[in-house]
Amino acid sequence: MVNNINKIDELFANYKKAGKTVFIPFISIGDPDMETSFNIAKALISNGADMIELGYPFSDPMADGKVIQKSYERALKNRVTMADAFNFVARLKEISETPIIFFTYYNPIFAHNTSEFADGASAAGIDGVLVVDLPPEESCELKQFIDKKNIDQIFLLAPTSNMSRIKLITSYAKGFVYYVSVTGVTGARKSLPAEMRSKVEEIRNIKDIPVGIGFGISSPEQTEEIKNYADAIIIGSKIIQFIENNLNDKKNIIKSISEFSCSIKSSLM
Amino acid sequence: MKYPDNKGHFGVYGGRYISETLMPAILELEEFYKKIKNSKEFKDELRSYLKNYAGRPTPLYYAARLSKLYSSNIYLKREDLNHTGSHKLNNTLGQALLAVKMGKKRIIAETGAGQHGVATATVCALFNIECEVFMGIKDIERQKQNVLRMEVLGAKVTPVNAGSSTLKDAMNEAIRDWITNVRTTYYMIGTAAGMHPYPEMVRDFQSVIGKEVLKELKQIDKFPDILIACIGGGSNAIGLFYPFLKYKEVKMYGVEAGGFGLETGRHAASISGGKPGVLHGNKTYLLQDEDGRIKEAHSIAAGLDYPGVGPEHSFYADKKRIIYDTITDKEAIEAFRLLCRLEGIIPAIESSHAVAYLDKIKNEIKDKTVIINLSGRGDKDMETIAASISERNGKTVLQ
Repeated sequence: MVNNINKIDELFANYKKAGKTVFIPFISIGDPDMETSFNIAKALISNGADMIELGYPFSDPMADGKVIQKSYERALKNRVTMADAFNFVARLKEISETPIIFFTYYNPIFAHNTSEFADGASAAGIDGVLVVDLPPEESCELKQFIDKKNIDQIFLLAPTSNMSRIKLITSYAKGFVYYVSVTGVTGARKSLPAEMRSKVEEIRNIKDIPVGIGFGISSPEQTEEIKNYADAIIIGSKIIQFIENNLNDKKNIIKSISEFSCSIKSSLM
Repeated sequence: MKYPDNKGHFGVYGGRYISETLMPAILELEEFYKKIKNSKEFKDELRSYLKNYAGRPTPLYYAARLSKLYSSNIYLKREDLNHTGSHKLNNTLGQALLAVKMGKKRIIAETGAGQHGVATATVCALFNIECEVFMGIKDIERQKQNVLRMEVLGAKVTPVNAGSSTLKDAMNEAIRDWITNVRTTYYMIGTAAGMHPYPEMVRDFQSVIGKEVLKELKQIDKFPDILIACIGGGSNAIGLFYPFLKYKEVKMYGVEAGGFGLETGRHAASISGGKPGVLHGNKTYLLQDEDGRIKEAHSIAAGLDYPGVGPEHSFYADKKRIIYDTITDKEAIEAFRLLCRLEGIIPAIESSHAVAYLDKIKNEIKDKTVIINLSGRGDKDMETIAASISERNGKTVLQ
């Protein structure tokens, strides 16, 4: 059965009414292992995550910096399959209604079969799909199938996006637009470009759609500032670093990520 | 119907599968290239550099002893005599002129065998542009001479230690750099692959090879029956084939790197041993596992050691206009030695794959006019060849 209201849209509508900013942490499925990554997702949900972005590991993550590259490498050692990923999401959905965004590159979806991917994603309970190397020009192959399942296809905008790109992408976008804060790959950064705020306003002037900001965000000090103009904040590499730093101490992975998640959540209050 | 179409597709292949950060730059490049490619000023300038700097046209040499061996008429298109030692300069000269006109101050490139890296470093010296070349550490090890050449030409060679540490990983790293520095940097792709407009642009710049062959054969009143070229990404092959595609009677063979043999799974034959997928901005045949992760390629030839192929080749493979087949490492080495001794030409180990294919179709080439694209010279491969010879001698001793 297809739900009529997408959970991502619902969440943004509620948060907008309340004047709150959505917190979306990112983790890779299977890093450092299947069970621990599932426990991390659970911990994030109980410590402030409003939505979760799950990375499906790819061998050649061209838009990712070192931290997520290594995270995917660790996950790939455990050979995470699409069936594993769907199972991961389905288990998570049994315990929580938190919306799930599935993040990957296009080849794993294409290899799985795009139509079957949409069926499986829908059955598992995936609410949105973000394919980093699939600009609107190439998105129709996937869109035709996930649209039918009421799954949002999330698109990126970047500092390099000009007026015509913003118009094109906001016309395709569902759920929210993911604004990439820096010209660069993923990875925590101490300082972020000042142009972010004006760019978000530029996007909003073209279309009234929620704007999430990601890439480079790493601290509550940053989110405290960004919450004033962003509808959502996405944090990935900073969270993955807690895994990388505690590979021999899985309890500490959960503990440190939970604490960090809480600190971000309180900064958004 | 002309390919690619206006969105960069060759049938179902090609396209622009790339991060949004790069889309404005890609669209700008496409517009710029469209505007400039037919302008007389650009064409004259490129022609002048190809003639006076690169030394074109390269000879079409009748290989008499090789022809006698196969009772055939075999001509070698001597891209090994092009400046820098391979066909790669045809493309980098064209793209560098474009980059200069676009006002770019920095050029980045990926390289496998180092031939594209050297050709990029060369044009960057020529046009006074900052140059950084990404190269896998495995390739740095087996192509040391080309690393030195790039460095003396003023390029920064950045080692890439990720994945298989070869061409694929160098390309990932170049794309990451481009995403970061896209406002100032021009990305010079070395093969007829990647996101549109690169496959078209590289093909156009390399087509000088086939156009010259047509002219050179006309002067001796001949026309080819069979064309043979090696395929990594496929730029030398499409450069030779493209001007002949309209002649239905001309048969074309693209020779992929069979490595240890297709059946071993350790090869770089994306068309013969892979299936369609999406990598590095285009949809094309790829070596991948059932979960859609890219597999490591293997070839003795660093320039062919790539798990993908240009999208135009995938298109003509499906249409069966071009026949794709494989040659193993071992067969390539045999052909390398054969050409050295019969013709006094040391071919690149990449190009040796094309030479080796003669033996596979020896019955078909009798009394025919055959063109082999000798895409590069083999000086860079001496260490690889020495290693394979000593390995063999070692075995002889053991026996």
